[in-house]
Amino acid sequence: MTAVDSYRTLHPRSDVVNYTRHIVPSRVNRRSLLLALSGAPLPLASSCASPERRERRVVTLWYSYGGKNREVLTELVARFNRSQGDILVEATYQGDYYEALAKLRTAVAARVAPTLSHVVVEVLPYLAETRALEPLDEYPGARELGLVHSLAQAGAFASGDARPLYGIPFNRSIPVTYLNSELFEAERLDAPTTWAELVEAARRLTRRSAANPRWGFGVPISWWFWVAMTAQAGGELVGPGGETTFGGEAGAKALAFLQRLVHDERVMRLPAGRDYNAWQVTNQDFIAGRVAMTWMSTAFLRYIEENARFRVRTAPLPGDVRRAVPTGGTFFVMLASAPEPEKRAAWSFLRFMCATDQAVDWATRTGYLPVTDASVARLRDGGFFAKHPNDTVAQRDLANVLAWPWAPNLFRSQRDVLEPRLEEAVMKGRNAGALLREARELARRPW
Amino acid sequence: MLKAQARFHPWAMLSPSLGLLLVFVLVPLALAAWQSFFAWDLLTPAVPVGLGNFRALAESGALLGTAGRTLAFSALVVSGATVTGLALALLLDRPGALFAWVRSSIFAAYVVSWVAVALLWLWLLDGDVGIVGVSLRAFGLPRVGFLTEPALVVPTLAAVTTWKIAGYAMIVFQAGLRAIPASVLEAAALDGASGFVRLRSMTLPLLAPTTAFVATTSLVVSFQAFDVIRIMTQGGPAHASELFVYAIYEQFFMNLSVGRASALAVVFFALLLALSAAELRAFELRGRTRRERSLP
Repeated sequence: MTAVDSYRTLHPRSDVVNYTRHIVPSRVNRRSLLLALSGAPLPLASSCASPERRERRVVTLWYSYGGKNREVLTELVARFNRSQGDILVEATYQGDYYEALAKLRTAVAARVAPTLSHVVVEVLPYLAETRALEPLDEYPGARELGLVHSLAQAGAFASGDARPLYGIPFNRSIPVTYLNSELFEAERLDAPTTWAELVEAARRLTRRSAANPRWGFGVPISWWFWVAMTAQAGGELVGPGGETTFGGEAGAKALAFLQRLVHDERVMRLPAGRDYNAWQVTNQDFIAGRVAMTWMSTAFLRYIEENARFRVRTAPLPGDVRRAVPTGGTFFVMLASAPEPEKRAAWSFLRFMCATDQAVDWATRTGYLPVTDASVARLRDGGFFAKHPNDTVAQRDLANVLAWPWAPNLFRSQRDVLEPRLEEAVMKGRNAGALLREARELARRPW
Repeated sequence: MLKAQARFHPWAMLSPSLGLLLVFVLVPLALAAWQSFFAWDLLTPAVPVGLGNFRALAESGALLGTAGRTLAFSALVVSGATVTGLALALLLDRPGALFAWVRSSIFAAYVVSWVAVALLWLWLLDGDVGIVGVSLRAFGLPRVGFLTEPALVVPTLAAVTTWKIAGYAMIVFQAGLRAIPASVLEAAALDGASGFVRLRSMTLPLLAPTTAFVATTSLVVSFQAFDVIRIMTQGGPAHASELFVYAIYEQFFMNLSVGRASALAVVFFALLLALSAAELRAFELRGRTRRERSLP
């Protein structure tokens, strides 16, 4: 009795047996069996595909949301899949923004990219430059989405409307100040509106107790917050000629301010870890009451409100010589390598996500900003903003949005050049001006 | 002795291993060496830069820093695992259910995944609420940022790694101890050798091959360190915990720089090659010395 015969006896209805019946001769030797088995998985895999997958156009979406945001996104995807019978969006989690970007680049290089993904603001010009992204201007209705100007490519980037449309905003955010309102009330403090007020508030809120310490202020050492501070100090990331300046004196002033909070005033807690781990740690510190005030993305608004055991209040970031905030979050992008029918199907999904119902749902359930004028109007007219003053803060602060330069080396400047130096300056106390001069020189280096 | 019937037979026998070595080691190594001479991000055409990647890494201090941190981490892990493993084996190599339970408990850390260990220690070492920090403060000591102080982060990660692998070293040393004939130690005791003298002059020399094995396996583990860094520090603060494997990952996947990642991989390979050659040479010299001593 051959191996297949034995298997057939034990599993008379098995697909494997039925399949191998056609390809395995009655007298099976080892070589023919190995050959047959090596080819078996492919047709088996296709036969295992669900009927939905066979009958509908499949659009693959790679996403980076975790926790509450993931829950809402997957619900919206399911809603789209239920709303029609031709397209099936399959959403797959790919790690945090940076991990997902690493996978996306590798997939593009290996020609196995998904149809859709979403990428952080800073990386959009770089990916557009590599021609990995599909220009979306000519898709039906692309110019009539009614996007909020400062959150769309047109307003989020300097002269963003002079370029082909590559990104559709969906999870967009700005940084805001989160306050433990009970501690602020106990100390009779109001939200700081200037850097000087921030120092004063942080001093009064810091409790230097060995057993139960509390820090007045906490923020991840991240380029996003440093860009905000540099802009508040009057600086720009690039000069008028497009050269990288990293804010010049204003950049150094912002960095020196962080150093002062950590080393001189000792009112700011340094979170462990880097990247989004540090963000998560900062959130936990705030929720647990270890930090009285933090700067964080609006993306975490609902998460923080739902998990903190005290009343959470938000306020605009304080200013120095001016008020300014960068936008953050991601844009949906379509990969140029996808087959045309898939791209058309993916566009239907993008339009669905920009429709008012979805934009409102996403914003109200997560804390990301509503990205279309119609969704903002519905929230305002329906009384949502009146009931949720924390959401209103970000809406008002959109007036202070700073446009990112459309620079293909923006992402490299952030990851490779600047962020390690921000850490060095704050952790090791190295001279801020010297580090930024070094960073400017490195940013001019070829890729 | 068996003789090959045809000249290609030995090669045919070796071909599966050679094929795997070629595909998974030699070809990637050659590719990495080639790519180290280009600036490339996977998506745009590669630009030849000669030794530019090596120069950039050297000038920024990243090359020396990464090599220094990796060697320091390895030295701490190898010495820590060897000393702790030996001490635990000497203390716990005794009969009885209690000792067996303690040995099993210590060894359990070795079979737990790196991710779980890293998450556990991340919590224990938290500066404010971690049990280590709280205990230190209970003794009136100041708050210690084990994972946020650049000077402390490598020793901290080395301690976590040692904690994880010390159980394995203990089991290997225990096997080594049991292989030493009891009669030899009894004879020394009858001759009046104290416990310390027996340990120094008999047990430790007889454990030399076991020690070499533990040191080698610990060295391999230390050079492969990745998970614990990824979970606990992501290479920070300020690159202070960026060891070679993590630095290569960071350059390739996070900084989009294939050329510099490849340059780091080439230097890492050269470092490992030099260390392996030194280790082989040391074994060779030790073997020769032993043979010379045994001559009449």
